[in-house]
Amino acid sequence: MIIAGLFLVGGAVTAGVWYYFTPKYTRVGYQPIQPVTFSHATHAGQLGIDCRYCHTGVEKSWFSNIPASSTCMNCHNQVLKDDPRLELVRESAQSGKPIPWVQIHKLPDFVYFNHSVHVNRGVSCVECHGRIDQMDEVYHAQPLSMSFCLECHRHPELKLRPEDKITDLAWRPASAAQQLEFGRRAMVEWKVESLQTCSACHR
Amino acid sequence: MKTPPPTSRPEQDTGRRYWRSLDEVTEAPEFRQWLEREFPRGASEWTDPVSRRHFVKIMSASFLLAGMGLAGSGCRRPVEHLEPFGKQPENYVYGTSQYYATAMATRGGAVPLLARSYEGRPVKLEGNALFPGGNGGTDRWAQAAILNLYDPDRARRFIRGGNNATPDAAFDRLRELSKRAEATGGEGLSFLLERNTSPSRMRMQKLIAGKFPKARWYVYEPVDLDVHRRAASTAFGASVKPIFKYDAAKVILSLDGDFIGSEEDAHDNIRRFTQGRRVEKPSDSLNRLYAVETLMSLTGMAADHRMRVAPSVIPRVALAFASEILKQAGLDAPEVPAGVNPKWISECAKDLLAHPGESLVVAGYRQPPAVHVLAQAMNAALGNIGKTVVFLDAAAIEGGISDLAKSLNAGEVETLVILGGNPVYNAPADLDWTRAQGRAKSVVRLGYYEDETFEAARRDADWHLPAAHFLESWGDALTSEGVLVPIQPLIAPLFGGLTEIEVLARIAGEDVVRPYEIVRQTFAGGEDAWRKFLYEGFAEGTAAKVVNVDVDPNAVKSAWSLLQSEQAAMASMSNNLEIVFHRDHAVDDGRYSNNGWLQEMADPITKLTWDNAVILSRKTARQLGLKNFDLVEIKLGDRTVSGPVWIQPGFADDSLGLALGYGREKSGRVGSGVGFNAYRLRTTVAENFAAGATLRRLDGTFELACIQNHWSMEGRPIIREANLDQFRQHPDFAHREKLEEPPVVTSMYPNPFDTAKEKGLHQWGMSVDLNTCIGCGTCVIACQSENNIPIVGKDQVRRGRAMQWMRVDRYYAGDPTQGRLPDVLKTDSDQQFEEWIDDPQSVVQPMFCQHCEAAPCENVCPVNATTHDNEGLNLMVYNRCVGTRYCSNNCPYKVRRFNFLDFNKRPLKDLKGPFYTTPLTHETDGEWDLLRWWKDPTEPTTGMRADDEWDLLKMSKNPDVSVRMRGVMEKCTLCLQRIEQAKIAQKVKAGPSGDVRLKESEGTVPKTACQQACPAGALVFGDISDPGSRVSKLKAQDRNYSVLDNLFTRPRTTYLARVRNPNPAMPDYHEVPLSLEEFEHKEGNPFEESGESPATAGKEHTHG
Repeated sequence: MIIAGLFLVGGAVTAGVWYYFTPKYTRVGYQPIQPVTFSHATHAGQLGIDCRYCHTGVEKSWFSNIPASSTCMNCHNQVLKDDPRLELVRESAQSGKPIPWVQIHKLPDFVYFNHSVHVNRGVSCVECHGRIDQMDEVYHAQPLSMSFCLECHRHPELKLRPEDKITDLAWRPASAAQQLEFGRRAMVEWKVESLQTCSACHR
Repeated sequence: MKTPPPTSRPEQDTGRRYWRSLDEVTEAPEFRQWLEREFPRGASEWTDPVSRRHFVKIMSASFLLAGMGLAGSGCRRPVEHLEPFGKQPENYVYGTSQYYATAMATRGGAVPLLARSYEGRPVKLEGNALFPGGNGGTDRWAQAAILNLYDPDRARRFIRGGNNATPDAAFDRLRELSKRAEATGGEGLSFLLERNTSPSRMRMQKLIAGKFPKARWYVYEPVDLDVHRRAASTAFGASVKPIFKYDAAKVILSLDGDFIGSEEDAHDNIRRFTQGRRVEKPSDSLNRLYAVETLMSLTGMAADHRMRVAPSVIPRVALAFASEILKQAGLDAPEVPAGVNPKWISECAKDLLAHPGESLVVAGYRQPPAVHVLAQAMNAALGNIGKTVVFLDAAAIEGGISDLAKSLNAGEVETLVILGGNPVYNAPADLDWTRAQGRAKSVVRLGYYEDETFEAARRDADWHLPAAHFLESWGDALTSEGVLVPIQPLIAPLFGGLTEIEVLARIAGEDVVRPYEIVRQTFAGGEDAWRKFLYEGFAEGTAAKVVNVDVDPNAVKSAWSLLQSEQAAMASMSNNLEIVFHRDHAVDDGRYSNNGWLQEMADPITKLTWDNAVILSRKTARQLGLKNFDLVEIKLGDRTVSGPVWIQPGFADDSLGLALGYGREKSGRVGSGVGFNAYRLRTTVAENFAAGATLRRLDGTFELACIQNHWSMEGRPIIREANLDQFRQHPDFAHREKLEEPPVVTSMYPNPFDTAKEKGLHQWGMSVDLNTCIGCGTCVIACQSENNIPIVGKDQVRRGRAMQWMRVDRYYAGDPTQGRLPDVLKTDSDQQFEEWIDDPQSVVQPMFCQHCEAAPCENVCPVNATTHDNEGLNLMVYNRCVGTRYCSNNCPYKVRRFNFLDFNKRPLKDLKGPFYTTPLTHETDGEWDLLRWWKDPTEPTTGMRADDEWDLLKMSKNPDVSVRMRGVMEKCTLCLQRIEQAKIAQKVKAGPSGDVRLKESEGTVPKTACQQACPAGALVFGDISDPGSRVSKLKAQDRNYSVLDNLFTRPRTTYLARVRNPNPAMPDYHEVPLSLEEFEHKEGNPFEESGESPATAGKEHTHG
């Protein structure tokens, strides 16, 4: 009885760890307090500023940069120029000292994710980052685990969208059938590979 | 690929931010804490021992509880910060690399380079492919230079009399020096420089010479490659230096000239020489190389005919050649007594004479000027001048170190300024340099390391200034051919180091002391020209003028009589051992002794790492009763050194080879105490050769770390070769020379790759031309730099745990008639006694992952950590690997490497077995780490590299390649990161279109690191599914074969068989290469048409 009980408890613990200690539970929903109360909902949602106005490197680099404080000041030297919430930004743009934003999305060091190749080839920001344009404080929307990546890499046709809709986070295909039709055509015309070999991400 | 040059030198405060550690750039909390901490550690802590210890105990217990209690949330990764710029710099995209043209100065030239900068730190150096005539190849020292930049043992401080000083105090000292020199006109001021070609340095020197006319200049190089210039100037009676055009020569005779190994510009010579070794079809011609030498050198290994003679005999051979050639050219030449191997000499001379204007005679730097004069006279007689050898204007160089020692001993030097170099370590032993240097009242030294010379100058008046790396500060240089190249920095000096030109400008009392401004002023051109200069990495039209020269008959005559009288004197000497001091392939003259990549690079010939050895021939060893690893003491006059014996096949009898550059007493964590110091025997009268040495066996042995135990292929066709005749008769000789294959059976399990490859956009493959590979080892270092390969230390190398993904295998083949026992596989412990090694032929072969289509490693991996991708790459997935090492066991090529320990983070001194410390058993300064931690919990207990060391070393890592940890297998990936980046770049460019394929015709196919670095162009990577690609064409050649093809592994890396070009008239002519003879002995004649020869078994196999 005791042995059986131990097995049961051990099994339950193992199963629990197996299931719950995955990025789906440990990462999704992570929403740290940022040093500046920047609202994507206001900027990207309400005001409709394109993602790439601030995240300038996303189409050129593996990394989608967080904008420099001087980028904020392009507008905020006119708009809300004395707002106390922007004190840190003004100071940083003045002194050149960076603002320590808290990193939310982070992949392991042995994964070489590249932003540029995704956003230039029909994959929208929303697939990994969720509806950033509705978030006041950004949170981790998707698990970004290997199985999450593979879901899309196995069936790119389900996620591909027209190139002018990449940063349009609200865009939805008219129907599932239309998505499938577009996705399949794009895969042929753009020669999108369903990359599932290890070399696609691990180097 | 290059980004436009910056408009001016980036300042530290604006523009790009240079940082000195990753912690600084990420503003890690530890770093900030360290910055902001008011008092040093221990100063503000509670000091009462009892209550403090009690406090620590309670705290550790509560931390433990807290840790357990928070286990759930403890799974979350620690908070990390992303810190963007405060002010966005223009045209900068985080995460992309930038490339700058720069150059590495050598003694008499420069290697034009293209440096890759990532996040403000240089991470990789490549040859500048834009440079006229260049092919993007470099030498191994240029590849390894990046590690020197991040060397934790570099000189980091300004020091006065052994104590730290401020830079300002040092600058005050230089100003004071300048004022004093102004008052005295430079009386008592002497400069000791290294050789280099910087026009800015020349300008500063001239400036100082103008201002302080009594200042004196001396140049010292322990390995003096300048003899070519001095001898040419003597021979032609004009101030000229020779440039050898090996590409234009059909027949080359080298008199101890290792022009593809240890001479100046060896990488360029390799490029030129191998142009003449390239064959595509049987009708192509090959150049022919004759080598006369003592050492086994790279040139000797590449030679078609090789004669090994003791050093004292080489001048005699030169005389015999000169007599033969000058006579047959109808010139006046005195008789020489019949010397060694007359038939060899006369037949070789005939061959040279048969190729007037396209032959070349070249003497090596170790030879006395008289031999060089004779060589140039022969070139003149053969009509080679202006064709295979041209002469350029060259300025004379100042006095040498002997003059300076004289002047020091006479008390004429008040202040000695030593810029670079390490004379205390490498000055000739008879100068007693340490004492002589002490005669100067003050020594001001600019040095890259706090080395032996620093140790000898620690008096109150002595100063030591840290030198900047060439990637840290502005400079300029001239290549051997006189082309001006910029030395452009990629990072601000990590430790505030100075350059020579800055120190000289300060001594000159100039207002302009910033290196950038000095270099800019030297480059007189306008802003556009300057920008173009920096962008391209060279200034067009600056090459030195070729001058017409005529041999001075008197110079030849006097060289002749000098050599003859020397030979007569030699003849009377008894049978003594002769010593050859030679430049080392890895550490040069000792300057790279603290570079781990070079220390661990196997010597191209001996395959020894981490040591030099007393090299001698089998016969000499037998006479003296020695075997490998025996410790011996060499006595020359009243000086002695001792070291281990290494028997080298093909080494001349009665000679000892001693590599310079080892036995450093004060180098760094890597280089200190490695090998023995041969400089101790070297004197001003016998710089390169010394006769009259005696050798005494000491008790005991000293184990050397050799990475290749097998010297012979034992008849297996691993490297396939034929003579030009056979190649013309049987162009498919490489296919005939094949081991018997097992019967082809249909596989029960189809190879999944056969269908998977249809999905691949490209199919990657590689071709290695064994005809042009000369085995220099540059690729090994390039790979190490590109792929974050750690060094493991001597002890681990001896255990077969070296981590380099590439190795260059070197095999010897002996004459089967010379007492060969070919049926027994033997390692060096037996082979060293066999007679066949006396006159072997050598072959080299780069060996790395063959990317087999039917890879044996993949079948045995229990966790699928090594798999194939659609494009034919055999992948190694580190994060999946559990370290069973089955793959390595099953790899027939032995190219997989396993991280037995955490080689990246463990300090070198802890990598010594047989018992290894763990973090629990590690001791620091003789005290148990856990005890130290108990006493002071802030003390780290890891047993890993110190932070300052690791912070620097990790800056040298390529950010595109994972740094592997302990317990993980790794191997060549064909530079997967470059392939993926190229593919991504193409896809980004393509956007919503189908133009995603990389095409060689468009230049979008990347080069692997080894290919890019190879000066011979022997390695070619590309898409084999593109019939127009270079690699496809190479693989279509008849010479193409795969190693161990009888195993049906179907490698993607294939080799082009080697073709030798021996002269049938020579006495040492062999009808077929000796390795082929070995094969024949074992497997039968591959050229026999009768019966079922291996060739008719077919080239294609359908094995699954």
